[in-house]
Amino acid sequence: MNYQFDLFFIANGLWPLLKGLVVTLELTVAANIIGLTLGFVIALLVMNPNPILRWPFTLFIEFFRCTPALVQIVWFFYCIPIIFDVYIDALTMGILAIGLNLAAFNAEAYRAAIQGVQSNQYDATVALGLSPFQRTVYVVLPQAFRSALPVLVANGIGAFQQTALVAIVALQDLMYMGKILATDTYRPIEVFTVIALIYFAISFPISQLVEYIERRRKAENS
Amino acid sequence: MANTKYLVEMKGLHKSYAGGVKPVLQGLDISMCPGDRVVVIGPSGGGKSTLLRVLMGLEDIDKGQLLFQGKNYITTDKYGKTVIDKEIRRNIGMVFQHYTLFPHLNILQNLTLAPIKVRGESKQSAELRARGLLTRFGLEAKEKAYPAHLSGGQKQRVAIARALMLDPKLMLFDEVTSALDPELVAEVEQVIMHLAEQAMPMVIVTHDMHFAKNIASRVIFCAGGVVVEDGPPEQVLGRPKEARTREFIQRVFHIGETEGVGRELSI
Repeated sequence: MNYQFDLFFIANGLWPLLKGLVVTLELTVAANIIGLTLGFVIALLVMNPNPILRWPFTLFIEFFRCTPALVQIVWFFYCIPIIFDVYIDALTMGILAIGLNLAAFNAEAYRAAIQGVQSNQYDATVALGLSPFQRTVYVVLPQAFRSALPVLVANGIGAFQQTALVAIVALQDLMYMGKILATDTYRPIEVFTVIALIYFAISFPISQLVEYIERRRKAENS
Repeated sequence: MANTKYLVEMKGLHKSYAGGVKPVLQGLDISMCPGDRVVVIGPSGGGKSTLLRVLMGLEDIDKGQLLFQGKNYITTDKYGKTVIDKEIRRNIGMVFQHYTLFPHLNILQNLTLAPIKVRGESKQSAELRARGLLTRFGLEAKEKAYPAHLSGGQKQRVAIARALMLDPKLMLFDEVTSALDPELVAEVEQVIMHLAEQAMPMVIVTHDMHFAKNIASRVIFCAGGVVVEDGPPEQVLGRPKEARTREFIQRVFHIGETEGVGRELSI
């Protein structure tokens, strides 16, 4: 390969890339707030014994789990404004699409963690006279949150990477700014390498942190 | 309080699993006096653990009645639904085979959670009592430790202390030493013996016949969901009247192998 790498030019393109990164981080943080809170509520609803309350949310989870995220984003951007005759700005729409997707996956993480609390813990709370509410708040949820945490963080990182998909609907995130810069400079290799490194530099420490937490938990429970 | 000499009365208790397909208790009648230390023995699947779980209010019943100090504790309503008096249930404490400590709370918090949340006791008072119990059980150095860092024997002693925090009038022990390494069994049994000396009424399910012999004031042999034999340990463990009891006792003491029919245990 006879290609001359030139990373110097990127100094000129740094400012738009940074602006794109800010949009990416905004998307990530907002989507995670939706994912962590709404996901929890949905998890409680899908565990409701009442099937009428349960099935719309089961459907919600399955819709987001069984369709590609890219399709979901495109669908949100093009179909929602037409179907509901509303205009929602691009950033909000991106946050909604990625946030709802994350909520569906997090709901499954919460549900598995809550159902993973051992049944003998329930026996112990009954023997100690705790009410169902006290059992949920003081015994089940604290244990469930702990065991769900690694999956929630991993899903959160996944959402961070998925934000790159919004570039396709012209939301000016890191990926979109990169594409513009690559076209402007005719330097796609450098630009996309730098972009990949930025995603990596943010995801990698967090995924290492998750592994550390998991290792510590395993050591604690052995 | 109703006038009765019994602490617990079970009348015609029926219980089945899988919607009536698998009967476990088939008409149990047991009356227990306040001074009784009842050890329940019997083959697995004979209903021993279910009996304790019903007593603790952890299982629904199909039919029958359970009185505690002469008051209705567990009954069924006209639709066959189990009705449990939760106030009465608070008089009973239970320790399980698999410790069931709360893994996310340290030892002190394990002991004080129920007194603070259920009884509304102040944190200071609950912690003071908890420290007293932990000291009594030789666990005072462990109050800040988490259950995962304790040995099986220590966990089980903590579980006993946790149940005692609620001042139970009856303690249930469900195979509490079965999951322990042999060298850890004694420390747990000593704690239970200690409670027995303080006249704590208890029902114990155990496979440890020597412990049963030492602690019981009364032994019940339960098989096929009914009481087969009920009497003092010298009788049930020593000279059982019923053939099924005799067979079981011989099997668990390994004396059948030497044609030991009729040979007696020295108690």
